[in-house]
Amino acid sequence: SASGSEEFNRPWNTEPVVREGLKHVSEGCVFIYCQVTDKPYWKDPNNDFRKNLKVTAVPTLLKYGTVGIFLCWNECLQANLVEILFSED
Amino acid sequence: VKELFSSLGTECYVLELDQVDDGAKIQEVLLEITNQKTVPNIFVNKVHVGGCDQTFQAYQSGLLQKLLHEDSAYDYDLIVIGGGSGGLSCAKEAAILGKKVMVLDFVVPSPQGTCWGLGGTCVNVGCIPKKLMHQAALLGQALHDSRKFGWEYNQQVKHNWETMTKAIQNHIRSLNFGYGLSLREKAVAYVNSYGEFVEHHKIKATNKNGQETYYTAAQFVIATGERPRYLGIQGDKEYCITSDDLFSLPYCPGKTLVVGASYVALECAGFLAGFGLDVTVMVRSILLRGFDQEMAEKVGSYMEQHGVRFLWKFIPVMVQQLEKGSPGKLKVLAKSTEGTETIEEVYNTVLLAIGRDSCTRKIGLEKIGVKINEKSGKIPVNDVEQTNVPYVYAVGDILEGKPELTPVAVQSGKLLARRLFGASLEKCDYINVPTTVFTPLEYGCCGLSEEKAIEIYKKENLEIYHTLFWPLEWTVAGRENNTCYAKIICNKFDHDRVIGFHILGPNAGEVTQGFAAAMKCGLTKQLLDDTIGIHPTCGEVFTTLEITKSSGLDITQKGCG
Repeated sequence: SASGSEEFNRPWNTEPVVREGLKHVSEGCVFIYCQVTDKPYWKDPNNDFRKNLKVTAVPTLLKYGTVGIFLCWNECLQANLVEILFSED
Repeated sequence: VKELFSSLGTECYVLELDQVDDGAKIQEVLLEITNQKTVPNIFVNKVHVGGCDQTFQAYQSGLLQKLLHEDSAYDYDLIVIGGGSGGLSCAKEAAILGKKVMVLDFVVPSPQGTCWGLGGTCVNVGCIPKKLMHQAALLGQALHDSRKFGWEYNQQVKHNWETMTKAIQNHIRSLNFGYGLSLREKAVAYVNSYGEFVEHHKIKATNKNGQETYYTAAQFVIATGERPRYLGIQGDKEYCITSDDLFSLPYCPGKTLVVGASYVALECAGFLAGFGLDVTVMVRSILLRGFDQEMAEKVGSYMEQHGVRFLWKFIPVMVQQLEKGSPGKLKVLAKSTEGTETIEEVYNTVLLAIGRDSCTRKIGLEKIGVKINEKSGKIPVNDVEQTNVPYVYAVGDILEGKPELTPVAVQSGKLLARRLFGASLEKCDYINVPTTVFTPLEYGCCGLSEEKAIEIYKKENLEIYHTLFWPLEWTVAGRENNTCYAKIICNKFDHDRVIGFHILGPNAGEVTQGFAAAMKCGLTKQLLDDTIGIHPTCGEVFTTLEITKSSGLDITQKGCG
């Protein structure tokens, strides 16, 4: 099963687009929404997100366990692109 | 022709070239964009139909009437059949130019059941995984050399096939994803369906569930590429694999027989041997047909000295499964091409790499009269990649007489879109296309082989400079001298113009790229001599070439190895 991990940071309001996109995920898919906590932690180049998940931008929508299958920033606002990511199996 | 259009109730815009001042110039441009010298020269709704004969033919076949009733009657401006290097490049460029474009891509599973995503051969089962596996093998060699450079470690160095394959497949997955995004961002409609023509301007798209949908377009580009050929012997499809299967094989292939002498065969045999596997290459006649044979012989010789076994002048006649497994055990019976000798041997895997066949026979081309070369399946096109049917074009490996390379397909696809929709006149330049064979010792080349040069220019009009060389990195590593080789072929009657460039050595691809650009600028021997080399590199040998083949002087390097 594929899972997505995602960081929100207002003012990017990706929530409606992502909720819509979640209608396209396959059975057994797990969606994880997590906050990046605060700015100092995010700015630290050695934080877990940067080091282990290779996330360099917020918001990011990524397919956990892969490298290179992700959307970030305004791509997360485009329903057609979000649909492609959520259709990945 | 004027009467014909009148009878069809169509008004024509007629430009009488003998009645306008720049008539001759217009005729020149017409020749350039349509390849036609004569008049009348007819265009219908921007599609070039041809002269008088072609126009009447089009009328007889019903094509002319279809072209006339065009305007917005079609679903799309352009439909591209095939989402590989050529197809995607063309589709994206057309979309950038504001056209409504659709791409159909569908991978028919291999006999072993292998399938892959959007992007075509290069991304999924060609250049990309090949180069990554080649790199994996080179790293093994580097680890070996590293001890001589002072690295000390106690572990036995061994290779894990599954770790490598998983990493490579992950990267390919991200490329497939990227292509999907790229098409969507440019508003290109992408359909994962098998496309075939049913009538003029109309295709049927069948998805993996068998659902059929129909689409129409003003223009079409066929970019369906090729698939590996099978031998046509007992057991080939059931038990043998091809490059379609190798790069995603979930288990290590083990003791492998590679059948073929193409660059695919040699590159695969090369990296498999680099992983420490027992590899045999079965060759029917010569290596790398079409390439410079002196270089091909050196490529093979290096592989032989580095653990690859060659069986010369044999062909397999039967493959039997002795044991199922991952991998299993296969018995191969082969016979000599000269005489009655036969060989029987057991392998874990048999990899067929005997050639690739164009995917042009089952896409309904006969329904719309697109001519193909019946023997090879390739599509003959004119110098603007147009088939014999005016609104149908083709790009990529399926083209007759053009190099089968990703960058060629990408470039010709892009330029084709610009000519169709961007008012460009630029044609693809197929001269001096560089390429590299990524065998254990890499071979890079641009321009003519020695054989081809002699055939075209005659031996006495050529001067061939050559040298053996020893890469600095190989010295301390204790690797052989007098193996790496560089050669240029110059045309004596054109200022010693470099018409053939050949290098056998590490990083041959990187070295060759720059020299290919120099050859586009008209590189001559003098210019090479005037260029100062970068030291210490392999590429610099080309700036100090002195010995000619005609002199017969020895090019052996002093120094051990």
